[in-house]
Amino acid sequence: MGVILEKLPPLLDPLPGGWRMVNAIDAVVDWTRANSLWPLVYGTSCCAIEMMATGAAHNDWSRFGVEVARASPRQADLIIIAGTLVEKLAPRLATLYQQMPAPRYVIAMGSCAISGGTYYYDSYSVVKGADRIVPVDVYIPGCPPRPEALLHGILKLQEVIRRESIRHPREPRPLITVPFEDVFSATLKTWAEKEKARDAAEREARAQFKQAHPDFKGYAHKRVVKPAQPALAPTPRTSPGLAQQAIAERVRALFPAAQLFARPDAMAAEPVEFTVTPAEYLPFLRALHADAELALDFLVELTAIDWKDRFEVVVHLLSTRLGHKVFVRCALPRDAGTEIASISHLYRSADWHEREVYDLFGIRFAGHPDLRRLFLEDDFPGHPLRKDFSDPTRVVRRPY
Amino acid sequence: MSALESSIVLPPGFEPATDGREGEAYYLNMGPQHPSTHGVLRLVVRLDGETVLGVVPHPGYVHRGIEKMGENMSVLQYLHHTDRLDYLSSLGNSLSICLIVERALGLGVPERADYIRVILCELQRIASHMLWWGVFGMDLGAITTFFYGFRDHELITQLFEEVCGARLTLNYFRPGGVAQDVPADFLAKVQVILEQTRRSLDEYDRLLTKNVIIQERTHGIGVLPAATARSYGCSGAVLRASGVDYDVRKHDSYSIYDRFAFDVPLGRNGDCFDRYEVRMREMAQSVRILEQAVAQFPAAGPWRSKELPQYKLPAGSWFRWVEAARGAFGTFIVSDGSLKPVRIKNRSPGFSNLSVLDEIARGAKLADLVTILSSLDIVVPDIDR
Repeated sequence: MGVILEKLPPLLDPLPGGWRMVNAIDAVVDWTRANSLWPLVYGTSCCAIEMMATGAAHNDWSRFGVEVARASPRQADLIIIAGTLVEKLAPRLATLYQQMPAPRYVIAMGSCAISGGTYYYDSYSVVKGADRIVPVDVYIPGCPPRPEALLHGILKLQEVIRRESIRHPREPRPLITVPFEDVFSATLKTWAEKEKARDAAEREARAQFKQAHPDFKGYAHKRVVKPAQPALAPTPRTSPGLAQQAIAERVRALFPAAQLFARPDAMAAEPVEFTVTPAEYLPFLRALHADAELALDFLVELTAIDWKDRFEVVVHLLSTRLGHKVFVRCALPRDAGTEIASISHLYRSADWHEREVYDLFGIRFAGHPDLRRLFLEDDFPGHPLRKDFSDPTRVVRRPY
Repeated sequence: MSALESSIVLPPGFEPATDGREGEAYYLNMGPQHPSTHGVLRLVVRLDGETVLGVVPHPGYVHRGIEKMGENMSVLQYLHHTDRLDYLSSLGNSLSICLIVERALGLGVPERADYIRVILCELQRIASHMLWWGVFGMDLGAITTFFYGFRDHELITQLFEEVCGARLTLNYFRPGGVAQDVPADFLAKVQVILEQTRRSLDEYDRLLTKNVIIQERTHGIGVLPAATARSYGCSGAVLRASGVDYDVRKHDSYSIYDRFAFDVPLGRNGDCFDRYEVRMREMAQSVRILEQAVAQFPAAGPWRSKELPQYKLPAGSWFRWVEAARGAFGTFIVSDGSLKPVRIKNRSPGFSNLSVLDEIARGAKLADLVTILSSLDIVVPDIDR
């Protein structure tokens, strides 16, 4: 009896009269729970690939009982937050968590899920740590963590589960809503203070060491010498398709009002570029699109630049048949109701590009069939790619 | 329009049906958490019975604001962020930036570095297509392919790890070359992978391509005509399956791709099977490029041209694109001459490839929508940026 009292106190339930009952149900329940984790198929970015690799034959997480990946949260008891969590997704994650039956466990995989990771600074949409939304049991650092690291994390979670007891069932933890604060900068400050305090505490010991060893010079750091790197000139490359001169002449014949963009020398190898006014923008692109000789049938991208005093809409066109590219720029006044004609009826891909520019810059496209925000929620305040965008409730400025 | 129909509030992005059958249609939400959307993409589908009448994709559930971050750092600091856009072809992403910096600052690339770049890029294309193949089979209900695909994917990621220490987000290319030399047994390992890939491609064909379920579920599904593909700005295998002969490696050549003999596989009908077949044949072509690159690989030499203390671009704007695994990945950098760019924009292939979904999924069954989406081979963080 003494052995059991000493070695296995968790197995003993007290009874009245100083008696005890041996009760192994906890051990059985914990053993089954820990060895039959059913993870939810949930991954947002790079970490999801490593999570899939962990499930595949080489690493094979079914060795540890994490076998049945479930597509529905109602059948899962483990959610591995693999990848970046952004504001638009956060309410969905909370819903998924609440839909899982208790007891439920959460692993935050990768630095994005832990703290926002590489998107901590300057990002206006990344949630700075999944534990601001759901309670996390195990954190796995890495960007992305290796499959072995994920397996380690799962084993750690199993350790946590094995310590549970059905006598004191784990309370379903509520969702967390942590108000925004720059934890990292605060931690840095605390860290610096601690370092300072430690320096002060060690000052005496250092002085004693110096007295005892007056010849000690410290360790000389050896610089890694890189092998000689030659200074090379780039190999010149001819651009495919029509020659720039031919394109310029053709465009002059088509649309005399378009100005050839005067390029600095560093841009000499770039495709030919034209500037137009907002009024000429649509007719010019219509003429380029219709011209059979230039055959510009492909819109590479449409985007905008914020120059602080003006916007510039940039259109990159390509001829898939001939191979040359033609770029178009159009400067727009920078005011609240900045508007330009839509070209989504000429190039269908402009539809999404224009919605993106509207979303991030707030430039409206007249005649667009469905001008809604593309990436951000409808109630997101402001347009983040404008230079004057600032939102201290979301963005932490990079300190260096 | 009846009183009932005029009182219906449609989900955003849909217009009332013109044939007066709005009352019969219903709407289904798919995602953002759904196993077949390959990440967190949300689709709203208009259905009549099981027939898809329209699809409205809602991207943005992994929109990380990476372009805004790029405006607050130097181009070299931005380099590693691009690995996290399309993480299955991360080398292509960073290569496009390196090409811009090399062009803007007039930097040359040593020959050995060029060969390392081509070999790694092609290996990554094979790895990415293998992974896609595994997931494509899984989306159609065959779990075996997942294990086969990942078995071969793992081999290549292990080589990447030996080369630069990372498996997915490599951050290995630098303006003017690569970050460090490859290990001594690099070529031998590439040979092993080539051997295995040749065997695997055969095996894949026997396992999945000729499977009657795959044939039935992909032929004539999600047909994308060539003109539509061009107009929607599709690229990569999606464009070439429709019969448009455009491969950035061939038609707007970069690095040393003009030294290798390889074909650009084209499809005829632009359906799911053609997209499948084009990717399978692309892997064989990548093997062909790799064979030549391994044979010509310079035995010794520098792997990076002279480093600069700062990679500060002069005033101007540059655009350069590369053929990544999913299509043409481009980077557009606008600089005003200071260390930080004014604007940095990534042209992601998946963005345009996904926008065509509504066009090609109309008339298909709901189960086919999964096939079509999988045949487009999207990576959501690449679309959302």
